[in-house]
Amino acid sequence: MFEQEDETVERVIQHLRRSVAIDPGLDARVMREIAQVPPEGRRGRPLWPLLAAAAVVATVLVARPWNRNAASQADTLQFVLVAPQAASVALVGDFNDWDPARSPMQTAHGAGIWATVVRLAPGRYRYAFLVNGVEWRADPNAPAAKDDEFGTPSSVITVGGRGS
Amino acid sequence: MILAALLLVTQVAVQDPRLDRLDLDTRSAVAAVVDSARVARLPIEPIIQRALEGATKGAPGPRIVAAVRKLAVDLGTARAALGTSALEAELEAAVAALRAGATPEVIAHLRDVRRPPLTMALSVLADLVASGVPADSAAAAVLALAPKARDADLVEFRRAVERDIALGAPPGAATSVRLNAGALDVSGGNTTTGNPNNPTRRSRP
Repeated sequence: MFEQEDETVERVIQHLRRSVAIDPGLDARVMREIAQVPPEGRRGRPLWPLLAAAAVVATVLVARPWNRNAASQADTLQFVLVAPQAASVALVGDFNDWDPARSPMQTAHGAGIWATVVRLAPGRYRYAFLVNGVEWRADPNAPAAKDDEFGTPSSVITVGGRGS
Repeated sequence: MILAALLLVTQVAVQDPRLDRLDLDTRSAVAAVVDSARVARLPIEPIIQRALEGATKGAPGPRIVAAVRKLAVDLGTARAALGTSALEAELEAAVAALRAGATPEVIAHLRDVRRPPLTMALSVLADLVASGVPADSAAAAVLALAPKARDADLVEFRRAVERDIALGAPPGAATSVRLNAGALDVSGGNTTTGNPNNPTRRSRP
């Protein structure tokens, strides 16, 4: 029994030890075939690095960190008017479409000190206070608008950006 | 080319709904000015805001139309002085400076000596003139400070001049005195930071 198994093992060994003839042009042909496969057919190449790079580029283009835009530099500013006799005061200007309903001012405990807070991006804005819905007043604490073409007083405020 | 033309037609056809606050004739005239400004690549928001200001203040239609037309022209002049890369805020401030009496040459000079944005420098120039400072004195002061002063420095300069004027100083003299003091501070490297509308005072040694 052992002799028979030894002969079988010996034949297998002899078979495996035979030299294998490989075509020397095989590598070149394989590489040529790979090169001819269209890009969409290359299943082995992952797309995620390309997608990640595209996402980064898109994010940078949208956010534009080199362009510190208005929103990122906006200032929160408080506007105050002392008007003890007023029943209502609204702040209107270039920043709220001159709409009295957009920025009504509040008075604390009826003391006649009216105030409101708005957030403004860098820029130069014209504005005024509308008292009791009929009376226009400029801000006594701000520069006056010199080019008042509509016959009522206005003020200007400039919100600075970089370097301010 | 065709796409650009279609885009332009679409933009012209769409009227800003905020202009509905104007009467029909005024709205049509203002919309025409807005369209012209858009074609000329001028900012349209300042024009719309000026029209809305007139509407809220109850100004007659012809006065509103005249105001927005004049503003569009001035925006064009401002852009010619500042260049096509100027920001909308810079153009608005330049219009204020022009109306205060600054020449386009002064504005162009300011562009050459100061890093953008120029909004605050131009606004300070306009506000100084509004305070009574002669236009040439205000322009000379801002141009002198512009290369090194920060925005907050310029605001503080304006407030100091205004305080002196309120105390009785002649506007021109107040500007000269504060300019010399400010020049010393700027050259000494002191700077001010904070809200430009309420700048903290500079500490002096």
